[in-house]
Amino acid sequence: MTSQGIQSRRNFLGTVGGGFGSLALGDLLANEGLTPKPEFNGGIHHPAKVKRVIQLFMTGGASPMDTFDYKPALEKLHGQKLGPKKKPEGFTVMPGAIMKSPFEFKQHGQSGRWVSSVFPHQAKLVDELTFLMAMSSKTSVHGPGTLMMNTGFVLTGFPCMGSWVSYALGSLRDNLPTFVVMPDPKGLPYNQKAAFSAGFLPAQYQGTAINAGTEQPVPNILPGKRYAFASKTADSEGLALLQKLNRRHAQSDPADSRLEGRIKSYELAAKMQLAAPEAFDLSKESETTKKAYGLDKKVTEDFARRCILARRLIERGTRFVQLWSGPDGPTNNWDNHGSIIKELPPMAASVDQPIAALIRDLKARGMFEDTLLIWTTEFGRTPFAQGGEGRDHNGGTFVTWLAGAGIKPGVAYGRSDDWGYKTAEGKTYCYDFHATILHLMGIDHEKLTVRQNGIDRRLTDVHGHVVKEVLA
Amino acid sequence: MKPLLVSLILISASILRADDFFEMKIEPLLRTRCFECHSHGGKMKAGLALDARSGWEQGGDSGPAIVPGKPEQSLLIKMVRWQDEEHQMPPKKKLPATEIALLEEWVKRGAPDPRKLSALQTKPLDWWSLKPLKQPKVPNGAHPVDAFIRAKLNEQGLKPAQEADRRTLIRRLHLNLHGLLPTPKEVEAFVNDPNPHAYEKLVDRLLFSPRYGERWARHWLDTIHFADTHGCEHDKERPNAWRFRDYVINRLNKDVPWARFIREQLAVDVFYPEESQLTPALGFIGAGPLELSRKTTAPVTFSYLDRDNMVTQTMAAFASATANCARCHAHKFDPITQEDYYALQAVFAGVDKAEATFDLDKSVGAERKAMTALLQAVEKRNRAVLLTADTQGMSKAWWADRKVGKVAAWHSLKPSDLVSATQGTSLTALDDSSVLAGGMIPLTDVYTITAKTSLESLTAIRLDVLPHDSLPMKGPGRAENGNFHLNEFECELLSPGSKDAIKLTFGSATADYEQWGSWTAAAALDGKPRTAWAIHPKVGQPHHAVFVLKKPITLAAGSRLKVTLKQVHGGAHIIGRFKLSASDAPQERVVIVPADVLAAWKVPEEARSENQRLALIGHAVKHMAKERLAVLPPKVQVFSVNKKAKVLPVNLLNRGNINKPEQLAQPGALSLISPLEGRFKLADPENEASRRAALAEWLASRENPLTWRSIVNRVWHYHFGRGICDTPNDLGRMGGKPSHPELLDWLAVWFRDEAKGSLKALHRLVVTSQAYRQQSTIRQDAAAVDGDNRLLWRMNRLRLDAEQYRDSLRIVSGRLDLFMGGPGVKQFVQKKGVHNTPVLDYKAYDWDRPDAMRRSIYRLVWRGIPDPFMEAMDFPNLGLLAPKRGQTISPLQSLVLFNHDFVLCHSKHLATVVQQPESKKPLVWSNWQQIGPFRGGDFNALHAKVFPPEEGLDFKAKYAALRWQPSKLQDGSPMALEGENCAFYFHRSVEAAQPMTVEVSLGSDDSAQVWLNGKSIHEHKIERGLAPDQEKLTVRLTPGSNDLLIKVVNGAGPGGIYFNKGAEESSDPDLPVTAESVVEAHRLIYQRTPTSDEQSELLGYATTHGLAAMCRLLFNSNEFLFVE
Repeated sequence: MTSQGIQSRRNFLGTVGGGFGSLALGDLLANEGLTPKPEFNGGIHHPAKVKRVIQLFMTGGASPMDTFDYKPALEKLHGQKLGPKKKPEGFTVMPGAIMKSPFEFKQHGQSGRWVSSVFPHQAKLVDELTFLMAMSSKTSVHGPGTLMMNTGFVLTGFPCMGSWVSYALGSLRDNLPTFVVMPDPKGLPYNQKAAFSAGFLPAQYQGTAINAGTEQPVPNILPGKRYAFASKTADSEGLALLQKLNRRHAQSDPADSRLEGRIKSYELAAKMQLAAPEAFDLSKESETTKKAYGLDKKVTEDFARRCILARRLIERGTRFVQLWSGPDGPTNNWDNHGSIIKELPPMAASVDQPIAALIRDLKARGMFEDTLLIWTTEFGRTPFAQGGEGRDHNGGTFVTWLAGAGIKPGVAYGRSDDWGYKTAEGKTYCYDFHATILHLMGIDHEKLTVRQNGIDRRLTDVHGHVVKEVLA
Repeated sequence: MKPLLVSLILISASILRADDFFEMKIEPLLRTRCFECHSHGGKMKAGLALDARSGWEQGGDSGPAIVPGKPEQSLLIKMVRWQDEEHQMPPKKKLPATEIALLEEWVKRGAPDPRKLSALQTKPLDWWSLKPLKQPKVPNGAHPVDAFIRAKLNEQGLKPAQEADRRTLIRRLHLNLHGLLPTPKEVEAFVNDPNPHAYEKLVDRLLFSPRYGERWARHWLDTIHFADTHGCEHDKERPNAWRFRDYVINRLNKDVPWARFIREQLAVDVFYPEESQLTPALGFIGAGPLELSRKTTAPVTFSYLDRDNMVTQTMAAFASATANCARCHAHKFDPITQEDYYALQAVFAGVDKAEATFDLDKSVGAERKAMTALLQAVEKRNRAVLLTADTQGMSKAWWADRKVGKVAAWHSLKPSDLVSATQGTSLTALDDSSVLAGGMIPLTDVYTITAKTSLESLTAIRLDVLPHDSLPMKGPGRAENGNFHLNEFECELLSPGSKDAIKLTFGSATADYEQWGSWTAAAALDGKPRTAWAIHPKVGQPHHAVFVLKKPITLAAGSRLKVTLKQVHGGAHIIGRFKLSASDAPQERVVIVPADVLAAWKVPEEARSENQRLALIGHAVKHMAKERLAVLPPKVQVFSVNKKAKVLPVNLLNRGNINKPEQLAQPGALSLISPLEGRFKLADPENEASRRAALAEWLASRENPLTWRSIVNRVWHYHFGRGICDTPNDLGRMGGKPSHPELLDWLAVWFRDEAKGSLKALHRLVVTSQAYRQQSTIRQDAAAVDGDNRLLWRMNRLRLDAEQYRDSLRIVSGRLDLFMGGPGVKQFVQKKGVHNTPVLDYKAYDWDRPDAMRRSIYRLVWRGIPDPFMEAMDFPNLGLLAPKRGQTISPLQSLVLFNHDFVLCHSKHLATVVQQPESKKPLVWSNWQQIGPFRGGDFNALHAKVFPPEEGLDFKAKYAALRWQPSKLQDGSPMALEGENCAFYFHRSVEAAQPMTVEVSLGSDDSAQVWLNGKSIHEHKIERGLAPDQEKLTVRLTPGSNDLLIKVVNGAGPGGIYFNKGAEESSDPDLPVTAESVVEAHRLIYQRTPTSDEQSELLGYATTHGLAAMCRLLFNSNEFLFVE
């Protein structure tokens, strides 16, 4: 973190006297002293170990007992009707009989983590990962579950973690958006943009949605081609004239910092115009890299592209990147109601190699020293069969892993019960998960608050404990 | 490495943090066991209150109740242990041992008790917004607003700023009250108006205009998070939500008094049942998001959360109270208990957000209501209604019209084709044209009968069902009891020469007899297969029903009718024998008059019994009412409240947990706002609307101090950019403190009493104050004292909001459509999504479309997929209430303003508006000439090689055998080129009167290169077949003659070229630039003429890059973006 980053953020909220901007700032920040501090390595309340985050979100509810949470008990009980007698809230249908995983599990690495055959690439890297084995959600409905894992609330309108982090810490460099989101090209997740919205925080902190692989991935970075008068020279000469007009106008009221703020904002916009195309240009990547990620194979091509872009953005100063695997809806994602054996393997294959490559790449570039990688989903699935070979939603227990800076690698925290139906030990809610990530970034989750309609809002609502057991 | 497992048992008290321990374990215990007798809100027996830390610290009559850390010395512990006869609390029954142990542990741990704001408990109402409203005296001064403002400024030794000039004022007023820039004409008129009351006149004009309602409606819609879609996992459109938006616009324009506005939005159905056209008011209740899991997978959770949403919205919008903070525990700062909160939830216990149907026209609504009531009276034989003079008169008139006795002529339909849907059933035509069913008796059947008719017009079809000896009980049905069920009666017209059958629409059906219950003839027309006409127990005799067309139709000669009789209930309820006939008699004459009624009619009037009179009146009234109902325009819908939903039980939830329901909640509001009743006494609590009405009364009450303070503060906020209390949705202890509490109170009382709740009066009062009219410039001396301008020593400089920005661009570029109301305009391209939520492509929307010209308020707002442009300008996230807009500035926002199609498109249009019309000269194109083929190597070599035409155009020159000659190439037609491995050149000149831009499209086989005036502007090396529009280029022409040169290189196979001029030629030019047009654009955008420096700079830029490019700069400038 540089002081420049802090400064630019402050500028846009408005700093100096006179201003409406400063009012807005005072209004928003319920707490004094919410400023990244160099002595805390860019943290606010204590030293930060993590400066940037890549979050991988598996839309639909990735099945734990078919991936990372080995449940031998299910093999013994397979076919028995032992589930609840009444349909629990959030289940789509009455639970069926207990169903074992159709995939083979093996132990891997020195840590001896069990991983199923659907993740052969990640299996080789389990010693790099830290598992939260007993994540729990307050809902078993996709939309609310997705919101909860991202914003800490089951309803819309609240800022997501990426927005909170952007708001609190600002950008690392000012020539790229601070918080970038790459949705699945097949569609937005459940609840559309609400999952990466800034909620009641200023819009500038929301995730900038990028259409990876299209001609203009960053929206509005350049004018549309149909307006020829917005040519390159008209742009650059125009910007110069605009700044001249704005400066002259600002002389009428030099004390209003917002006038100067807008002048600055055009300078930064021009910087982004230069930096963004380079950041999104994959042609600079070596063939070896592309191949390692799986850019050459149809099944992995899309997620590979987005993983490489994520790394390029993080490398160039973007603070928070969020990647989505799967759109909303009942198919083409991790919501495997119909058939675990048919629907899960293609989804798993589409992300497995790119993720493994991303981990290796980050490590090789020394970025694991200040980057955190997160793999998660909105909830788990039932140990009971749905319609023969699928599984229903289950907020009871699910798996998330973390890797990178500040994390104790090769560790698992918490345990689900023998069926993988509910948590047994070390239950972690999104609140704890978020508290831990904020902690790693030098933020005390209880102190990062914004007053909104009479309530001091936090990412962690009124909950949350840092999971110290997974910290390095 | 061994997995690390840590046991975390949340329910164990020992590891809870001190505050959590208190909140989760101790507070609930004290609440249930002690508060009844020991709290500030209730009794304080022995002077002891346990609902605040200060309560047990000070203790009651016997001294402090607790010595932290020392249970043995703490009175409270002695009491709960029932140590001796003196010490026994609670008095009736000793606490369970576990609870005593918990209390002991609490005291042992030092009695942690985070309840800090003891003032809340000791003096809950000691807070400015909760105090009864009293109008303070106005300090000396002419204008009451200024009097209060000046008094505060004087205290700080500050002076107000000078009044702003008229140009600034009119821009400020227009943007504030209309959300639009003034036109230069309006500006000049105001600036030059000699009338000393010119300003007041302007204010009145603006408030009178419907643009005012369009502007201010959006503030209210923000406040209550209204949008046109659900906004959750399934973000579906609410196609009729817009009627609420229109309702708000209309009510603001009509200036409905505030109390009435409250009553309408919460319970118009109770307060104004006659005003059906106001039903959209209830859209207020449906404004927020809706998680559809409420209706499916997680009903309990989301019912509570949905009601929470309505409670939050209602209390914040009308009372600026944060009742929702009391969902899991008592409000930590304001005197709102959990009981209050669940009482508010109970108000909405019967609300299900859905479509409600209503009549758009009040008189239609009244008519429908009256006719429906009459029909009910007939059904119930309600003498009181039927025997009134009115109804008797109606009846007389009806009978006089009908001339009963003259029976309509019925023409038998002789079947030419008879089909039964069931095998084994036979349909046989008998001699009298009736049809008899025989053979096996199926459970269900569908008959199709086709018959010719010679009638020239058709008004009705009659179905006779007839007895027959072969049928069970002699029929007319084939069921064991002789009955039948005719589920649907349908008829199609087959005209000669036409292949398509036309389905006929029937308006009514009558029968001589209808089985008791709902087995009416009309049931055979309702389209519902579950309802039917039947005749039990009057079997074994003939019956008939008449089906009357909605409108008579004319029949061509040779027409055929195809009648379908659907009998699908099962149980062999099939017609056994029937006959069809048709009539062209006037509609009123084909209606069947039942035998008993007919008999009554034949009795002389004076001799009729009361029953006979009732029969006649009943019959007449029934038909008249049905006829009148049939011609009423259909009802419409608005997304609001499902009127048929049941009241669900609402329980107080322990810590908000749905798995821990406690007592049933009774409808009510906040209990501490004296003298208002906190719980409602309802005559019929099962009538959910009465619950809403009671809350509306509570809110709209004169005595409610929150309501009146809330609205005047909100209005102030939108005028000054900041409220007197700067948290418009929260006037409680977590909100801001008012900068001018006396002014706020004065305004609240004035608004309530003198202005009688008129918002327009309030606007007029506020904007005519000097405080509003002052300049916005910052003065360093004043800023040093009051940097935030809380005391209003100047006007606040506000950034344009999203709507002001967009609508102002529209108005200046001549692209504002002032059409009001109607369904939301979709300013995006909508595609089917993966699941229920569609995909919206905002980028693909064409801003040249006519519906792009509608004002922003009429935009369809998709809650979960917001318009990125609007967001960049701080259009709020409507998942939550948005009483305030942001005023942010960021580079991403600057990119949007600089590059977004919306801005570029309107720059282009503004350029067109301000250009001088006389200089709009079209381009003059010469014909094409060509030269070639040049040879020399393969495709690659030819593409790279520079042939003479590229070096300089000389149309007279000869290159070996090659020379320039006229080409047959024509715009829009592909042309073949002869020869492999060769290059061709094409030339054309274009005359332009001024700098202009034209879009051209090219096709080539194979590669293409283009030069303009000797400069390469395009190169595409590719081997391909010819097609039109393979590439589009924008060609920028300079004034005078321009040379366009194209080189096409063909490799192997056939070659070709295609060229066309784009349609953009005249609509997207770099327009003629004159000083006048620069000045005009400047005036439109800034309301002032440029200085000579500004003019020459802008003219210089515009001459090189065009007027549109210049307009784009102005639209990005600070002078435009801020309201001074």
